[in-house]
Amino acid sequence: MGQLALQATLFGPFLGAIVLLFVPNREPLLVRAVAAVSAGTALLASLYVFMAYDPDQGGFQFITKWAWSEELGIGFHIGVDGIGAPLVFASAILLFAGIFISWHIKDRTKEFYIFLLILAAATIGVFMSLDLFFLYFFYEMSVLPMYVLLGIWGSHTKGYLSMTDEEGRRLRDSVGFILNFGSNSKEYAAMKLTLFLSAGAVFALMGILLIYHFSPVQTFDILVLREVADFDGTLAIIIWLLVFFGFASIAPIWPLHSWSPVGHAAAPAATSMLHAGVLMKLGHFSIIRVAYEILPETTRELMPIAAVLCVFSILYGGFVAYFAKDTKYVIGYSSSSHMGYVFLGMAALDYISLTGAVIYMFAHALATGMLFAMAGWVYDQTHTRDIPSLGGLVKNMPFLAGAFIIACMASVGMPGTVNFIAEIMIIVGSWEKYPFQVVVAVLGIVLTMAYLFKMMRGLFYGNMSPEYAHARDTSQWVDRLPLLVMIGCSIFFGIFPMHFYNVVRSTVVPMLDRIHQVAPMVAQNTTGLLP
Amino acid sequence: MTFDLTLSSSDLLLLAPEIFLTIWLCVVLAVDFTFKHIDHENLAYLSVGGIIATLVNLIWFDYTGVQGALFKDMFVLDGVAIFFKIFVLIATALVLLASIDYVKSFKFFRGEYYFLVMMSALGMMFMASAQDLLSVFVTLEFSTFGFYVLVAYLREDQKSSEAGLKFFILGVFAAGLLAYGISLVYGETGTLVFSEMASTPGSYGLAIGFIMIFAALGFKIGAVPFHSWIPDTYQGAPTPITAFLSIAPKGAALAIFIRMFYVALASFKPTWVLLFVVASILSMTYGNIVAIAQKNIKRLLAYSGIAQIGNVMIGLAAGTKRGSDAILFYLLTYLFANLGAFAVVIGVSNLIKSDEIEDYNGLNRRSPFLAAAMFLFLLSLAGVPPLAGFIGKLYIFVAAIEQELYTLLIVGLINIVISMYYYLVVVKKMYINEPHDPTPLSVSAPLKAVIFVGIAGTLLLGIYPKPFIDWAVAATLMFSNIAAPTAAAPAVLTSLAGG
Repeated sequence: MGQLALQATLFGPFLGAIVLLFVPNREPLLVRAVAAVSAGTALLASLYVFMAYDPDQGGFQFITKWAWSEELGIGFHIGVDGIGAPLVFASAILLFAGIFISWHIKDRTKEFYIFLLILAAATIGVFMSLDLFFLYFFYEMSVLPMYVLLGIWGSHTKGYLSMTDEEGRRLRDSVGFILNFGSNSKEYAAMKLTLFLSAGAVFALMGILLIYHFSPVQTFDILVLREVADFDGTLAIIIWLLVFFGFASIAPIWPLHSWSPVGHAAAPAATSMLHAGVLMKLGHFSIIRVAYEILPETTRELMPIAAVLCVFSILYGGFVAYFAKDTKYVIGYSSSSHMGYVFLGMAALDYISLTGAVIYMFAHALATGMLFAMAGWVYDQTHTRDIPSLGGLVKNMPFLAGAFIIACMASVGMPGTVNFIAEIMIIVGSWEKYPFQVVVAVLGIVLTMAYLFKMMRGLFYGNMSPEYAHARDTSQWVDRLPLLVMIGCSIFFGIFPMHFYNVVRSTVVPMLDRIHQVAPMVAQNTTGLLP
Repeated sequence: MTFDLTLSSSDLLLLAPEIFLTIWLCVVLAVDFTFKHIDHENLAYLSVGGIIATLVNLIWFDYTGVQGALFKDMFVLDGVAIFFKIFVLIATALVLLASIDYVKSFKFFRGEYYFLVMMSALGMMFMASAQDLLSVFVTLEFSTFGFYVLVAYLREDQKSSEAGLKFFILGVFAAGLLAYGISLVYGETGTLVFSEMASTPGSYGLAIGFIMIFAALGFKIGAVPFHSWIPDTYQGAPTPITAFLSIAPKGAALAIFIRMFYVALASFKPTWVLLFVVASILSMTYGNIVAIAQKNIKRLLAYSGIAQIGNVMIGLAAGTKRGSDAILFYLLTYLFANLGAFAVVIGVSNLIKSDEIEDYNGLNRRSPFLAAAMFLFLLSLAGVPPLAGFIGKLYIFVAAIEQELYTLLIVGLINIVISMYYYLVVVKKMYINEPHDPTPLSVSAPLKAVIFVGIAGTLLLGIYPKPFIDWAVAATLMFSNIAAPTAAAPAVLTSLAGG
């Protein structure tokens, strides 16, 4: 049953995309219905997987293994552990929400849903791959639909600074223009994103091929490799660096982040949601799956690199988000900044902090998904994302403003939302090892509060310009459903986190045991923060 | 050398596909001459029928394991030969189907068109079986004759004549090189048969001879630095012939490459590996970088083809059984993706009479089918999962890393990213830009069939490649004990190959 549910989560959206090929384009309602049904199937199936995952048993569960090519040592091998299960669930939530957020897309509806379903299905595929080949297969497969989604249904961005703002325009025409040339077109954003991520992917592929070649058994199977592979010396360092930076480019860690905000800003709302919500987590997840599982010793030695870089991620993203004038840039940079927290949690290699990092990935997916969904709605109503020119929308959109406040609170990490649990675990867990980074992270939370509330004030309060008087609130159920689902999940797991915590911990503990076992290090905070 | 030409009927069985095809192409020509007013469409179907019959014959050979050699090993029928014959025939059948609408635009249709295409195919079938330098020369020229005429087939088009002339002059030059190389090799070894050369000691004459042969064959497959005829010829030739030229002769020439280097030159492996490493790096990098600047889709595909051949040569540089398996599989993926892409080009040029990439603007709005097909084919060429090209590239890379050819691997991986750029530029024009002229385009039935075969092949080889990988592995069984690289490789090679 669990296996079947896992397969349904993966193949449901794919099947939906295939069915859509045969649905005529002139039946938009049928197109949407097919997409919604396949996404709904995936959502229910992934919920089942998440709930049915047995934390007492731990390890990889619901495993399916089909022979694919013995010649190359590849098998179609899927299953989830306590890290994959919540992320699969998060992807399914965002896909489901994204289908409804895009309900009003008129241009080439069918193609949009096909690409969106493929994107989400490929992402889900990465989270459950237990074979390096299929991990890469789905990873690269999730990048390409982004190009088309951004290119066709995206919107041109205004750049980092406001065009209505005199100072901003002057800056843009001088320095900004040089540093940021071409960034105003969606085609540029799409191409930059695709090439950046593909370049990262081929580095990772190089690392994967080296693992394949130098392991005693010629196989791509992660479960076999983690038992038999034993890399050391320069080779292990080279592989680790290739894998880490290859996958961290999608995460995105600080010097490799520049594709991300541009991409977020140009993408249509549903794509931004999936992109910021789950696509970026492919990076962290793949690092955990490949580096932590196969190269535990090297991970322990080299993970401080991430601890250094995450400082820049958090501060740089936070400050740019504070000064950005475009709603999607603010949310995009806040995502880059928040991904630094996940790296901090991962880098500390602590039982509490890594658990927190995994929960944070889930929490961030929901919070940022909500923010992007609502920024998309505001853009659809007003056709601008320029914060200074907007204002006072609360009069027209009371429901949306309320939801937006909740999303901001979640993003900041207010108690009651799952983000709070994640953040506090990362901070407490990392304190022993990286006190400086923790101080930065706390500063980052303050920054988050500053820019999110600044954006909220700019959008919903103050004076409204008369040209936006026609903007209307989400009134239909199709518009409110996705927001309610995301808010509901965020609050539910914020109040009842125990199952979630146990699931993640069941995987994190043995994983860190392996990493630390090699040269025993006193593991801190092993007695849980929670009972 | 004396030839014993007494053949038994069981020996003739090995030649059955070739004999059948010879008779069939004479029939096609005769039908064309006899019935003056025959619809040329029926002529095409007649030709395709003959090719399918030959294909069935070959598949039956493969299934029952009929193998053997004829004429003192000049003609050999083994796994590799059968594979490449099937490869060439599939390409031929698809090209014939894709030609049906294109030839309607010829002012004076001449029935020899189908005859010449089939004749070239016949030549390439013999190439796949050549196991002797003499038969290499004869079959190579035999297959090229048809192409000389076909490339210049658009008599009223200046570009086509130019392409024909360029192809002819350089082709004849390559033939001269080949003949000269063969004579040097014969002088040094005293034999023409590959398997007998294997034990010869190395000498300068032999090296020069083989480098000349390498150059002549490099011309055939369009590897840098022997590629200069490719862009102009591809652009000027009738598009179905361009498609044919970009696939079938490359496959047949690679059959000779594999046989010659794996069998005749097995003992000099460290030396020729270097040759392939250099040619591969040059081909991939040059092809991909120059392709970025192209404005014409046929030229873009020409340069992308050069880069693809660079990828194939990674497999040759590996020089192992795994390398040859990977080449065979890669060629299959290339067959479907490249032929499919050309079929779309044919479809578009039939309708809007243009091959400029600019005119692909908004193709998605004008014909969603053509645009989606092109999207798949280009991404398969770029090597994006879940399409065939990705598995092909991965297979080649696995073969390379087993020989620890790191430099080659890194160049190959970086080239994937470069190539993605120009393939995506075409995707952008088709999907993102708005059309100048929004009239919908419709595709004819035979062309649609070709494109569907291409899509089916591209998806099947990407999602379930196992049977095809197994086929490639079985076909090259004879190379299972190819010599491992000797420890005493030249220092320059070791540093370049990164080993």
